[in-house]
Amino acid sequence: MKLVRHFAMGTAVAAVVAGWSGAAAAQETLTAWFTKGFYKGEDDALLAVVDKFQKATGVKVELSLYATEDCVTKSVGAVDAGTPPDVGFCTTYDFRTTGKWAYDGKLEDVSDVIEPMKAEFQPMALSTTFLMNGKAGKKSYYAFPVEQQMMHITYWKDMLEEAGFKEADIPKTWDGYWDFWCDKVQGSMRAKGKRIYGIGHPMGIAASDTFYSFLTFANAYNAKVVDENGKIVLDQPENKKAMVEAVKSYANIFQRGCTPPSSVNWLDPDNNVAFHNRTTVATHNATISIAGKHMDDMNNPSLTAEQRAQAKKNYEDNIRTAEFPLKADGSKMTNLAAVKTAVIFADAKNKKRAKEFMAFFMKDENLRPFVEGSAGRWVPTTLKGIEAPFWSDGKDPHRAVVYKQYKDGTVPFQFVYNYNFTTVNAENVWAKAVNRVVQDKVPAEQAVDEMIARIKQIAG
Amino acid sequence: MTAPLSAPREDKSGFTRDRAMWGAIMLAPYVLVFAVMVVYPVAYGLWLGLNWNSYKALFADPIFLRTVVNTIVFLFVAVNLKFLIALLLSGFFVQQRAWIRIVLVLFILPWAVPSIPTILSFRVMLNPENGMVNQQLFQWFGIMEGPGWLTDPTLAFMCSIFVHIWKSLPFWTLILITGRLAIAQDLYEAASVDGANRWQQFRFITWPSLATLYVTSTMLSMIWTLGDFNSVYLLTGGGPGDLNHVLATLGIRYMRNNNLDLGIASIIVAMPLILPMVFVMVKRLSKGADA
Repeated sequence: MKLVRHFAMGTAVAAVVAGWSGAAAAQETLTAWFTKGFYKGEDDALLAVVDKFQKATGVKVELSLYATEDCVTKSVGAVDAGTPPDVGFCTTYDFRTTGKWAYDGKLEDVSDVIEPMKAEFQPMALSTTFLMNGKAGKKSYYAFPVEQQMMHITYWKDMLEEAGFKEADIPKTWDGYWDFWCDKVQGSMRAKGKRIYGIGHPMGIAASDTFYSFLTFANAYNAKVVDENGKIVLDQPENKKAMVEAVKSYANIFQRGCTPPSSVNWLDPDNNVAFHNRTTVATHNATISIAGKHMDDMNNPSLTAEQRAQAKKNYEDNIRTAEFPLKADGSKMTNLAAVKTAVIFADAKNKKRAKEFMAFFMKDENLRPFVEGSAGRWVPTTLKGIEAPFWSDGKDPHRAVVYKQYKDGTVPFQFVYNYNFTTVNAENVWAKAVNRVVQDKVPAEQAVDEMIARIKQIAG
Repeated sequence: MTAPLSAPREDKSGFTRDRAMWGAIMLAPYVLVFAVMVVYPVAYGLWLGLNWNSYKALFADPIFLRTVVNTIVFLFVAVNLKFLIALLLSGFFVQQRAWIRIVLVLFILPWAVPSIPTILSFRVMLNPENGMVNQQLFQWFGIMEGPGWLTDPTLAFMCSIFVHIWKSLPFWTLILITGRLAIAQDLYEAASVDGANRWQQFRFITWPSLATLYVTSTMLSMIWTLGDFNSVYLLTGGGPGDLNHVLATLGIRYMRNNNLDLGIASIIVAMPLILPMVFVMVKRLSKGADA
């Protein structure tokens, strides 16, 4: 009897164990954390890729979508705790963490996935994922270039006309361009008794818009900050001189009262808000999200027919997306691009499947709908992607400008060459230098000396 | 001669043992909560703050010294101004008249309502372009560019102090009213009979009676003011240009930049300011309990 009982018990335990392992085998999983899209189209495209991958491999993808800030904060915590997901794609990784994670050996080398598809990417976009691993002491591909963003100028064409000007009146030269918005357009509006500002000019320390805009100004003056080995070259006389001019130029717009005074406290959405409120005639913004908001409204069924019609008119007629003017030396402006990176973590549990998933996700037929789902907010990193009709047919007034900027060529942020520049940007030494000039009234030369000293402390 | 009314030795020790055991059982939840909620977080924070490099980095950050100066100025101005006004107002509100009681109820409102919406409403009102204040200046007086309430560093700092005082003044006024009400009225009547004027009554009766409460409250307020995050962060975010941070907001700024070590360090450097105040506070309160 005892023997029978032991046998029954043993059989039951074996059945449970077999069932368990069988269930585990049937439920191979892959965890992926993504930033939740601004638009439904992004999330729908992502879910479609996940669905296709699950059907093709039988692997269950546990996908979590997080708000922009939560995504990176949660990822940093998980990496520190040694419990990251298998795949991570947050749209602020590039600004905040990718370079440092690669340097600290927290990312998986994905060269075996990237190498076969190298020729498909825009070279600059791809180069931002070739990062230094401090532990291994060598550079390699540690991330996937999923999509990117660039700086654009956005202005109200109808307000420009109200001020008595045509688009053809907008100068192309650097100083002439800003003078036009400051003196002529704003001046004309003020003469009509309107409290309207020429430019929405981000100055806030806590806004990534500020350092993105300022570094575009630094490019306009050819102020080189680091070389391709990550060595700081800003203290070289020609670069320092150029940076002083960039600080003066950026500060000057505030000093002349051409931007709302509150721009010194602006966070990232605030220049968009000021523009939508028609407090400013023009602004510079990374992505075409300002125009995109009106496109979203014109298709929003919860709005009235009149509101949708107005949004359509705004998107198609009233709002213009434009390139930056020529550089201070008269040459063509270089477009500073931020490449949004996906990664596979070194501590991931299922790296093999993670690589399979990313190789699948980065295929043109999967990646393109995802990028295009953002309605132009994000730009492709692949050569095929940018040549798709969505960008290249010239039918959309805003995307046509983005396409042209892309074709003009892009340059990366400094943090691609020296990851410590993520800290430099987080601390926003650039905005601090400008604020030293406008708030503390110190000469731009002194502000730049302080800037260089601080950059060397952080990234030297 | 009667026998002493005492329990047998064995029973007494059993009783004592039981009391001690019940005492320990009753105390255990408190000790546990104290350990989890106070001892562990403080010890963990101190442990995180043991990184010497964090302090080197903190002192190397140009914004830090400015923050320390801001914190000291904020403490000195806000606390003293607040208590001076509270002292004056407590003299007004202590009067037993119906309309003054109604005013007192209205006066208490800023303290009673939640901080976040009220301070954010100040932020909206003081916005230089669209805020109610500058809009009115434009509409009434045609002033195109009103004062930069939150964009001029000095004005913004003063606004933060104003909001802090506006928010916490009712509480401290109430405390001082309570202190004034505890003073025996016959002292004032006797002083009045002796011909003492209002100032002499204040100097020789009110102030000596209130002094202990005033000083103790001031120290307590200093500790709270040092930790006041809302008034500065919600109004200006420490701006413009990171120029108006205090230690409470600087720590959060570091943490938002994924720099936990510096955030902890910036909070721990306030310890030399806080600990002496806590020590003096406890000593004063102990004296009060002994008296």
